[in-house]
Amino acid sequence: MKYVQYINSLLKNIIQKEKDLIIYGQNINAGSCISGLTRGLGDINSGFTINTPNSENTLTGIGFGLMLNSTSSIFFMKQMDFLLLGIDHLVNTFNIIRQSMPTASFTIFPVNVDSGFEGPQSALNNFNDFCSIADLDGYSFTNKIDTKEIISNYLIRPGFRIISPSQRLLRNDTINLDVFYYDKEFKYFHYMKGDDLSIVCFNYSLPYGISLYKRFKNIQISASLLSINTFSLFDCKYLINELNQTKNLIIIDDSKSTNKMSDKFLNQIYKHCILEKIIVLDRQDEKNRFFPRHDQLEIDYNSVLNKFIK
Amino acid sequence: MTQSIEKTKIIENVLWLRLAQILVNEKYKKGDFKIPIHLALGHESIAVAVNQSMVSKDSLILSHRNIHYNLARMGTIKEELDEYYLNDNGLAGGHLGSMNLSNPKKNIPYTSSILGNNISVATGYALGNKMKNNNAIVILITGDGAIEEGSLWESLLFMRSNDISVMIIVENNQWSLGTKIEERRCKINLDHLSNSLNIDYKALNGNDPFHYIKTLSEFRNKSIKNKCPVIIEVHLSTLGYWYMETQEYPTGKFINYHAGPAPEVELEEYPIIEPNIKDPLHVLEGYLSKEELIKISSEQLKILKSELL
Repeated sequence: MKYVQYINSLLKNIIQKEKDLIIYGQNINAGSCISGLTRGLGDINSGFTINTPNSENTLTGIGFGLMLNSTSSIFFMKQMDFLLLGIDHLVNTFNIIRQSMPTASFTIFPVNVDSGFEGPQSALNNFNDFCSIADLDGYSFTNKIDTKEIISNYLIRPGFRIISPSQRLLRNDTINLDVFYYDKEFKYFHYMKGDDLSIVCFNYSLPYGISLYKRFKNIQISASLLSINTFSLFDCKYLINELNQTKNLIIIDDSKSTNKMSDKFLNQIYKHCILEKIIVLDRQDEKNRFFPRHDQLEIDYNSVLNKFIK
Repeated sequence: MTQSIEKTKIIENVLWLRLAQILVNEKYKKGDFKIPIHLALGHESIAVAVNQSMVSKDSLILSHRNIHYNLARMGTIKEELDEYYLNDNGLAGGHLGSMNLSNPKKNIPYTSSILGNNISVATGYALGNKMKNNNAIVILITGDGAIEEGSLWESLLFMRSNDISVMIIVENNQWSLGTKIEERRCKINLDHLSNSLNIDYKALNGNDPFHYIKTLSEFRNKSIKNKCPVIIEVHLSTLGYWYMETQEYPTGKFINYHAGPAPEVELEEYPIIEPNIKDPLHVLEGYLSKEELIKISSEQLKILKSELL
């Protein structure tokens, strides 16, 4: 099953159980239905399903207005860069609403445009920045288990959050992994348990982590594989224990942000762990990131393996 | 007889609201507040009319200049003053201050200090009313500055496309911060703008609270019946301006009142600020004699002072 179909089936499963839910956004119940992401949701939603005008600032404010009126809603958005127009509400409006402990749910569900070639304006793979600007809850997901848990537990829940899949992964087959352990709030997932090093993946970089894990396995190095699915600070005790066992850390972060969750995580690790090796794979040295180009994080896996072994 | 009692009540409300604001101004002049407050002297008639036209499930969504609506909805002053002092027993526990002061218990669920921000929140709130089948309206207060923001257009499109009842009240005092309309933009013909979306529009002038109440009630019902937004543009003056003498302006430079204390407004038994139509108190003189108004004003001042004792 393609990943987009898998997410669509999860959305349907939850939305059909809800009463008085408003789902809205551009193109959600017409045309391509956001490349299939929202296809059929209008048929099973007993509340309102609204194809909206192109008014992202207002559409963001509407979700908060609904929250104030105790009405839950989901705002689906084709591209996360559209949400730049709603930042006033993400910061100013939510700063008021968060004081009153709302009982309604408001979820913004944008697709993170990380597929590349869109050009300087649309290829905004910067989920970190949206969350950090007002300390917002945000969750990314990449595979069968984390997608199921995060959508099931956060799509409709009192409060506000942004949850976002990767456009690049939507077109692929669904990644299916066994899980060793995961956080009860779904902020991190531990897939493989190893003894020699820990590969910790941020944003949408788990597929790179899987490739690296397999390469280490081929040379009999036992790696742990984890993903961090949140963009806010969280209780790192479990990960600190894990790293104090393996003593070696490889971070992979494919975000274009300069305000990355992986940097904040690393700060915590420096405070609490004495590690033998730390390797960070991110876009820091990437050139031409604002030109139309593929958006893959370029990793020289052999060089990483050599660096670790040395 | 009933009509006469109601008329007196409205007049009492306008005078009470003027005096309450002047009491705030007196404390402001003494430097009592750390927070910025935007007084609305001259806006009393529309605030009393809005309060009067609201029925049970109606909601009011406000902007940074909200003292008149909050006071009119409360009918008392102490809790609002305590909020301005950021006291724990303030209207919002000292958490909102002035420019964001809302009061859900009095059907004011949201107030924004950000220009144009409240328009889309009001739209969402009204969509919630539609989902709940509430036979109610959202009254949105905005101004001639905020309608310059794109959110007005976006929200009107959404309201009109989704059959949503909102009464948009544009307080047009001609000023945004220290600039008059002609200093910052071309004219906006709200009538034509409304017409382009088939939205009913009405301009209000003259500060007559009775005329305002009648019009607002009509438009409220029209908006609910037609499931459509309506726009009311209220032309008014924010009183409290003053003249500052400088070397360049020896006869005084006009300073329009925006926020902060109004230095030349004093607490008097009959608190009229300008003897013309810009001042709602002057308009009341068409309904009662000056002597009667002075008597009512003096009673309202006693009520306010006793509350603050």
